[in-house]
Amino acid sequence: MDLTYTADEERFRDELRGWLRAHIPEEWTKPGFWGSLPSTESFELRRDWERDKALAGFAGIQWPTEYGGRGGTPGMKAIYDEEMVLARAPQTVNALGLTFLAPTVMAIGTDAQRKEIIGPLLRNEVIWCQGFSEPGAGSDLAALSTKGVRDGDGDDADFVVNGQKVWTTNAVHGDKIFTMVRTEPGSEKHRGISMLLIDMHQPGVEARPLKQMSGASEFGEVFFTDARVSAAECLGELGDGWRTAMLLLSFERGASGMSQYTEFRRQYDEIVAVARALGRDQDPVLRDKLARVLAELECLRYHAMYVLTQVEQGRDLGFEASMTKLQWSETFQDLWEVFDDVLGPDATLREPVPGLDLAAMHAQAMWSRSVTIWGGSSQVQRTIVAERVLGLPR
Amino acid sequence: MFFALTDDQRDFGAAVRDFLAGKFDTEAVRAVVEDPDGDGLPATLWQAMGEQGWLAALVPEEYDGLGLGLVEAQVIARELGAGVAPGPWRGTVLAAEAIRLAGSKSQQQQWLPKLAAGEVVGALALRGSTEDGWPAVEYAGSADLLVVADAFGLRLLRADEVSTRRLDSFDGTTRLATVTLADGVGEPLPGGSVEVHAQLAARAAVLIAADLVGGAREALTRTVAYDRERKQFGVPVGSFQAIKHSMADLHVGVTMAEHAVLYAAHALDTGAGGGTTLDDAAALAVAVAKSKASDAAQLVTGAMIQYHGGIGYTWEHEAHFFYKRAKRLAGTAGTAAEHRERIAALTIG
Repeated sequence: MDLTYTADEERFRDELRGWLRAHIPEEWTKPGFWGSLPSTESFELRRDWERDKALAGFAGIQWPTEYGGRGGTPGMKAIYDEEMVLARAPQTVNALGLTFLAPTVMAIGTDAQRKEIIGPLLRNEVIWCQGFSEPGAGSDLAALSTKGVRDGDGDDADFVVNGQKVWTTNAVHGDKIFTMVRTEPGSEKHRGISMLLIDMHQPGVEARPLKQMSGASEFGEVFFTDARVSAAECLGELGDGWRTAMLLLSFERGASGMSQYTEFRRQYDEIVAVARALGRDQDPVLRDKLARVLAELECLRYHAMYVLTQVEQGRDLGFEASMTKLQWSETFQDLWEVFDDVLGPDATLREPVPGLDLAAMHAQAMWSRSVTIWGGSSQVQRTIVAERVLGLPR
Repeated sequence: MFFALTDDQRDFGAAVRDFLAGKFDTEAVRAVVEDPDGDGLPATLWQAMGEQGWLAALVPEEYDGLGLGLVEAQVIARELGAGVAPGPWRGTVLAAEAIRLAGSKSQQQQWLPKLAAGEVVGALALRGSTEDGWPAVEYAGSADLLVVADAFGLRLLRADEVSTRRLDSFDGTTRLATVTLADGVGEPLPGGSVEVHAQLAARAAVLIAADLVGGAREALTRTVAYDRERKQFGVPVGSFQAIKHSMADLHVGVTMAEHAVLYAAHALDTGAGGGTTLDDAAALAVAVAKSKASDAAQLVTGAMIQYHGGIGYTWEHEAHFFYKRAKRLAGTAGTAAEHRERIAALTIG
C-alpha cells in the first residue's frame, strides 16, 4: 500500500492550485452564485474561463501532447479533478466532448478528425452535445429510431437526418452533436447505426431547453428535420456506430471518484452545519443516518484509490465501472435524503430560519434524483454487475 | 498510488486458503460445531497456524516473528473468516500485540517468541473489570496467557491465575468463556496506557472486520455458484432479476467493506505517533471498516440462507456457520451502531 502521489504529481498540484487561486474571483465561489446568473451568462462566463485554463496548460491532462494535451499521468488527472472541486472552480461547459468524444476520436478517428475536433474542443471553440437517448429509447438505447437517409454517392454523399434526441446536456448552447443515427434502412437493434457528427447551426436542427423538476434546464431536446451531414462526418465505420458508442462510453471510467468524494464530503459538512443551525445535530437517529452516509462516502474514496491503482497498473476495469456508478450515485442520493430528514418539518422551506437560505441545497437534493437515472440507471447497472461481474445467467 | 495487495501479500492469503481447502474444509468445521463440549481447538489447524507463520505476522523479527503489518494480518484474518475457521488465532495475535505495544523488554522476550510459534495460546480481554470479570473472551478456556484490561491498565495473567466459565454460544466455530481472577494477580504491562488500550481496540476491530468481510465474500461466492445451477420454473434461479439486483448490491457492499478494512489496516500501520497513538483519521477509518463490515456480513449471510431456499435453513447446509459467525462478530469490538456514533462524534461533534 502506498497512498501517496509522486513528487512530479505533487508539483503539478502546486502549479495548478496556484493558477486556480489567481484566476477564480472570490465571488464565483459563493454558494448559489452560478444559480443566480441567467443561464446564457453563466454559460459564456464558464466557457471563456475554461478556454483560458486550457491555454494555460491545464486541460486534457492525460492526453498526448500532440493533441494539445498535457501528457500527464492518471494520478495528475485525479489531482486535477480534486483541485477543481477544492477551488470551487466553474463547471466545465464541454463535459461530453472532453470525457467522451475526444478520447474516442484519438482512438479511432481519422487524422482529419483528430486535427479538426480536438484542438477547438479544448479551447471551447466548439461545444459538443451527445445525441443518444430518444423519447422511445432510454435504457434500451438500441431501440433508437432517428433515421439518416443517404443522398448522393461516395465521399460527397450526405445523410439527411430526421428524428428527436432528448436529455441532451447543453442542447441550446451546442455547436455540434455526436449522434447515434440509424443509417441502414430496415436495420434493427445494434446493427445499422452510425455515429454522425452533426452541425447544430443549420435550419434542420432545433434545440429546446427541457425544464426539469428542479426548475433548472441542464438538459434539452434536439429535433432533426431534414438536417444534413456529410457521410465523411462519421466517427468510426458507417453502420458500426454501436461499437463506437460502446468504446465512447468506456471512457467514463477512471479516477473521478476522488473528486466526487471531495465534493460530496463538502456537501456532507454543509448538511451537518444546517443540522447544527437547527439544533438537530445531537439527535441520535440523525447522527446514525449521517454516519451511515459518511461511511459510504469514505468507501467511495477508497474505491477511487483502488480504481486509480488499477488504471496505473494498466489493468482493464471492464464492467466494474458499473459498481463505481452505483456506489457514487446511490450514496449521493442517500446523502440528500438525509438532508430532508435533518430538515424534518422544514423539509420544503427555502429559509427555515431567517438568514439560512437553503435554495442551493434544495437544488442539489433535486439533482440527486437524476443521477441514478442518467449514464445508465441503477437498475441497468445492477443487471450488468450481476451478469458481467458475478456471472449470473442472462 | 498503490491501493491493493502486493503479490507477496496475495500469496500469503492464498497459502492460508489452500491449507484450509485441503486440510480444514467446512466438514472439519462441522466436526467442531457438532462437538460443543470440545475445546474447539483442532490440533492440525493450530499446528499450521504456528508452523506457517500465521501467528507470527505482527511479531517483530527480533522475537522470531515476521515483522509484518496489519495489512498482512488482515489477509490472514479474511481467509480464516472465509473458511469459518475455529481456533484462537485472533486472541493469540492480539495478546502478542498487547505485549509488543505495552510490555517490558523482558515480558516481550519471554512471551513473543512463544506466541509467534504457537507454543502458547493467548487471549485478550478489553471489556470487563477485576470486580465483575471479563465476559465472552474468545478461547479463554484454552489460553495459557491472558491480557486483560483493568482500572490501572493492562495486566498479564497466566492460566493458573484465573478461572474460566464456558459460555454457550450459537456460533459453534468459536469457544467463549468468562474470565475471573482466581489465584493470583499476574503482572502489569508497564506501557498499558489509555492510548495503547485504544490502539488495541482498533486493531481488534480491524481484524474482526477482516474476518467478517472474508466470510461475507465467501458466502456471496457460494450463493452465486448455487443460484447459477439451481433450477426452478425450468431456469436457473440466478437468472431472475429480483435475485440478480440484490446480489449486485451485495457485491458492491462487500467490495466496499473489503476496501474499508484494507484502508483501516493501512491507516493503523502508518498512523501518526509511531503506532501507539490513534489519530482521528485512523480512528475514523476503523469505525468505517467495522460498521461497514458488520452490516455487509450480516446482509450477505442472511441472503445466503434466503437465496439457497429451504436447503439454506437446514442444519446440514453450511450457511448457518457463516450466518452465526457474522452475528457474533458484528456485535464484537463495537456494533455497527456504536461505530457509527464514533463516526458522528468525529465528523459532527
